[in-house]
Amino acid sequence: MALTFLLPGPLRSFAGGNAEVTIEQPAAVLAEALESLWQHYPGLRDRMATEQGQIREHINVFVGSDDVRYTGGLQTPVAGGAEISIIPAISGGAISPRIEGSS
Amino acid sequence: MMIGKVFGHYRIIAKLGEGGMGVVYRAHDEVLERDVALKFLGATLDSEARHTLLEEARAASALSHPNICTVHEVGESGGEFYIVMELIEGKSLSDLIGSHGLAYQTVMRYGSQISSALSHAHGRGIIHRDLKTSNVMATPEGLIRVLDFGLARRIVSVAPDEGTRSMRRPDAPGSTGGTLPYMAPEMLRGEPGDHRSDLWALGVVLYELLTAQLPFRGRTSFELSSAIIHEAPAPLPPRIPPGLAAIILRCLAKEPAMRYQRAGEVQAALDAVQVVGPAAEPANGPRGLHTIVHRGTKHLVVRNGDVLVLAGTMKGAFLLRSTARRARWEIAGPYFHGQQIYALAWDGRDGRHRVWASTTNMWGSFLRSSDDYGRTWTDPVEAPIRFPADSGATLKNIWQILMGRPTEPNVMYCGVEPAALFESCDDGQNWSLVRGLFDHPHRPRWMPGMGGLALHTILLDPQSNERMYVAISAGGVYATEDGGRTWQARNRGVRVVYTPDKYPEFGQCVHKITLHPARPERLFLQNHWGLYRSDNYGEGWQDIAHGVPSDFGYTIVAHPHDPGCVYIVPIESDEFRCTPEGRLRVYRTRNAGESWEALTRGLPQKRAYETVLRDSMAVDSLEPAGIYFGTRSGQIYASPDDGKNWERIAEGLPPVVCVKAAVVGERAARRSPAGNRKARKK
Repeated sequence: MALTFLLPGPLRSFAGGNAEVTIEQPAAVLAEALESLWQHYPGLRDRMATEQGQIREHINVFVGSDDVRYTGGLQTPVAGGAEISIIPAISGGAISPRIEGSS
Repeated sequence: MMIGKVFGHYRIIAKLGEGGMGVVYRAHDEVLERDVALKFLGATLDSEARHTLLEEARAASALSHPNICTVHEVGESGGEFYIVMELIEGKSLSDLIGSHGLAYQTVMRYGSQISSALSHAHGRGIIHRDLKTSNVMATPEGLIRVLDFGLARRIVSVAPDEGTRSMRRPDAPGSTGGTLPYMAPEMLRGEPGDHRSDLWALGVVLYELLTAQLPFRGRTSFELSSAIIHEAPAPLPPRIPPGLAAIILRCLAKEPAMRYQRAGEVQAALDAVQVVGPAAEPANGPRGLHTIVHRGTKHLVVRNGDVLVLAGTMKGAFLLRSTARRARWEIAGPYFHGQQIYALAWDGRDGRHRVWASTTNMWGSFLRSSDDYGRTWTDPVEAPIRFPADSGATLKNIWQILMGRPTEPNVMYCGVEPAALFESCDDGQNWSLVRGLFDHPHRPRWMPGMGGLALHTILLDPQSNERMYVAISAGGVYATEDGGRTWQARNRGVRVVYTPDKYPEFGQCVHKITLHPARPERLFLQNHWGLYRSDNYGEGWQDIAHGVPSDFGYTIVAHPHDPGCVYIVPIESDEFRCTPEGRLRVYRTRNAGESWEALTRGLPQKRAYETVLRDSMAVDSLEPAGIYFGTRSGQIYASPDDGKNWERIAEGLPPVVCVKAAVVGERAARRSPAGNRKARKK
């Protein structure tokens, strides 16, 4: 079962420069899916989540087109072949593509 | 024949291979109904060696990381020592290399994962000691698994014939016991080696993966050892991206101190090269050693004796430089474009020339450093400063970075939001929460000020290694006399306006404190309202707001040589947080607060409604002293002569929240305050 993650610019340098990564690993819920993403690309963990394991405030995660805030958060079910998008919230303030390596 | 035999609850199915440390079989775990790898070490061990090996294997079995082969069990049967491991369906890198090496993209991907495995193990005190291509497996999906963590030293030391065997065929990578070609110079010299010896071996592995050749060659073990110790590695072919080549060469620096100091740095560097790629590499200049390479700004060229001003703003960091005359200034930046830089610091201890920065944006708060004046910065894979899980706290921002005393050149401190103190004893690599302060019974009753609940100031007593102070908004001043184990509130005499009790034990909204190294018993304090001095290590405070236009303000800075001299920038009020009367005035006392004088020459005195925040003022260590401050309107002013004359040295910056100054190449010992001829008593 493949999971596809779509990454925003500032995170790509921690995923081999890819905007999209696919991971072959079973996951029932979002928490498991993110865990395998972070195991493959450890630099993403602390940028997406706090040290207490919560997704950072100004980062939105979508499974398909659903904002997981409204579908159970980290317990949102993830079907095989799911597309998981990580997108900075509008209110998130400045992001810095130049600095994060995508010069 | 071993096939079919049963050891414990493992039935041997097939022989998988023979490696330097013994024979490996595929076995079936009859209890858990799964296949495992069973390795017999084939060494005869005396009881002490057996005990040590067991201990180390147990430590290694505690490692849990996607790039480390899991050790299930370590045991002994019939005098034979065996290790039960996860069965990895894949090939060793030595089998994958072929005769031409692997594509560099693959090598970087593998290298990043090996670095990640090393970083995890090193962080837990486990050194591999025998990293080589035959010890690393790759699955068909491209996932790396490093084998045999921490087992090598014991095996080699108790079975010396292993070493001898390897030396007979030094050119055969991945051959049985192929250890010598991967050994770091310090290990060949008989030193025990440390985690950086693993980084050397990683350099050899990467080199070999790219070229199918070893970087050091020799027909005999003596020739090979000699090449490792004395010679430069054989040149890499030009098809290798220069950024990647630079990483490998840095791993292969003869002196451990010249290599990367952490596996995470190698990983970050490899990941950066993956992004940039060879085509985007600049034609010259230092490249890709760290993740972040700043382009698009003209960097400073700094010489010993120059003065450096570090300015943190709400949208990036700027570096300014001048000669010791401090007449003309160059500026470079922004570094960390768009990020909040609440803290900057200079580390010139032990010959370093390192700039530290805290960067904060929606992706978190990270501590980073640059050893080349901003060209390249570290970009940690994991956030270096993090609250432990049991604290329940989440790092919001890093407000202060402070170097330890000159006698403790590897010590650093950070003050953070939510209010807490972190300490590092290894040059900023690993950080721990100072529990004595975090667990203080007052902490639940500290209240956030307008900027949040932050520990924003740290002061070290230069004469006592056990005494230090922190300032918290709004918690007040706390001091420790025992190196951080216990902390006491030191706020007696400091007034608060927002509670019925005007002089509580704690809860003051202290904006800044400062002390002079020559008179460490004397501290100065700028409060939310109120200007104070203590002559007894903060035990009691007295009001010194004699003749200032307002005793509201943020910053307060001690003169570097004169212990009676302090600078402030008064602010009108907490309602109108700007300079009074639209005049930008620095106030100075030279008698420890008995009287104050306005310093205005060169500062705007009309419609200058400016704000200078708590960490936005600094002094250098020259004579006369340079005084520097930045404003929320993005201007930086400097005085080269103790505050007599001022000049605007930058304008149009984002709001300035942090200003630091340093003299490059200056040895701290030279500026002993006790020996200062101008030191005068109040």
